[in-house]
Amino acid sequence: MSRRVLLFVAIGALAALPLTVGTFWINMVITALIFSLAVFSINLLTGFTGLLSFGQAGFVGIGAYTLGVLAKQGTPPLLAGLCGVVLAMLCGFLLGLPAARLKGHYLAIGTLGFGILIYQLLTNSVGLTRGPMGLIGIPTGGIDKQTWYLAMLAICLTMLAVLVYIDRFSTLGVILKMVRHDEIAAQASGINIFAVKLIAFTVSAGFAGLSGALFAAYVRFLTPDLFSEQESFRYMMMAVVGGIGSPLGGFAASLILTMIPEGLRALGEDNYRLLVYGTMVLFVLWFLPSGIGGLIERQRK
Amino acid sequence: MSVLELSGVSKRFGGLQALSEISLSVKPGEVLGLIGPNGAGKSTLVSCITGVLRIDGGTIRFADSDIQRLPPHRRARRGIARTFQKVRLADQLTVYENVAAGLASRWFAHAGGWSLVFRRLSSASVARAVNRTLERVGLIDVSGLSVKSLPFGRRHFVEIARAIVSEPKLLLLDEPATGLTESERERLARLVKDIAAGGCAQILIEHDLELVGRLCHRVTVINQGHHVFTGTPAEAQTDPEVVRAYLGMNQLIGGGADDAHR
Repeated sequence: MSRRVLLFVAIGALAALPLTVGTFWINMVITALIFSLAVFSINLLTGFTGLLSFGQAGFVGIGAYTLGVLAKQGTPPLLAGLCGVVLAMLCGFLLGLPAARLKGHYLAIGTLGFGILIYQLLTNSVGLTRGPMGLIGIPTGGIDKQTWYLAMLAICLTMLAVLVYIDRFSTLGVILKMVRHDEIAAQASGINIFAVKLIAFTVSAGFAGLSGALFAAYVRFLTPDLFSEQESFRYMMMAVVGGIGSPLGGFAASLILTMIPEGLRALGEDNYRLLVYGTMVLFVLWFLPSGIGGLIERQRK
Repeated sequence: MSVLELSGVSKRFGGLQALSEISLSVKPGEVLGLIGPNGAGKSTLVSCITGVLRIDGGTIRFADSDIQRLPPHRRARRGIARTFQKVRLADQLTVYENVAAGLASRWFAHAGGWSLVFRRLSSASVARAVNRTLERVGLIDVSGLSVKSLPFGRRHFVEIARAIVSEPKLLLLDEPATGLTESERERLARLVKDIAAGGCAQILIEHDLELVGRLCHRVTVINQGHHVFTGTPAEAQTDPEVVRAYLGMNQLIGGGADDAHR
């Protein structure tokens, strides 16, 4: 009962945030919320199903650039965003076909290769994406930050609720986790592990694509660097700090890890802040090997 | 009428003929013992039946259809369930969740099985099947505990529960009595008889010959991939071929030890 009260207080506090902090921080939180969707895509793929991916930024890029390019050509933004999500899912499906047969390091390298492929594609298709010059002036303006914030909060909390439901309460969660724990036993229980992995890749790519489409619509300026493999590693780091199988932890981690580096700017503009940031992340992993999610789980019991 | 029928099943790994021309059959409600010395090919045979391995020759018929081309998950959906020699459970998940996973073979047995996966884990149809099975194997009191908190012996029963929750036609038990206490062994014996009474065919791989003699209607003995004997447990004890297979094993062990001393 008290947990439910705590939940409502937390949501209320989040919703009231724009009243208390300035534009700079609101901006930051909106970006963090957009990132959290990409972190959810890792929770689903790696946390629940056990498939390691270092190419998630590729799907984010597909979602973002599809919206950007189509919207600039006059497609309504909502439709363009939908196209971005669908295209990301299609690519997730196609990547899944070979990747679902790979395991461990091979899978990590395969997905990393996919991420680099997309990055190179975005950089070099100058005719379509303007490459390193960047895609400027995506026509999705006219929505104020308060609305963006509340809309993002609603989207992220809905997705979070769906994932927590799958994780803790649904039969699907058990099926995914059986595939993660023991493929031989999963097969013996009638689970088609190839199909499960393929669906996990497709849906996960959809989450990442949605993150990208929203990013493009909000920031309205894209360069390929925003979707390089470094970004994939950053999403993975957020997911790991949050606890790889915990969407709630991932949500918290994407907020915290997006804001800390900005907060550390108070230390000055040189790179010391990155040193402090890296040390903090290492300490979290040292003392909380199962991340923020592990901490939440311990409180629950 | 047999539920499972193997005829002339062969399996080769490179230069090793793991199984040659094995034939056996099991009827509904029957318990068939599968015995033989280590390395005889018992586990290979189980893998061939469940579809983890493809056979090189012969036929496998299950419930009146050829299944040798079906992948493992499809065979499970047809009604072949198994436990493993080395327990394979999701340790962090609860007993209830592990057993519920076994229901997957029933959900996916029908078209549209995917629509069922969003159901609550605690929904009535899932809970009814899982709780009834947990009660049957004596684990209802630990339903909510994680598997890793259970003693080793009880984990075997979680695996059996996961295998029988979908009400399979054939259950393959791969050395279920290993590491069980005396009382757990008795519970296992009662459970095997109870499952047989429900009409499920069982193949029991077991080194504990006393248990095999007590539970099995028939035993099949294999040695070095070859079929040696099929008959009642009493007949097996006096069959010269069976005695030689086991005697050979003893001599082999003795010889190995002597080598080590030299």
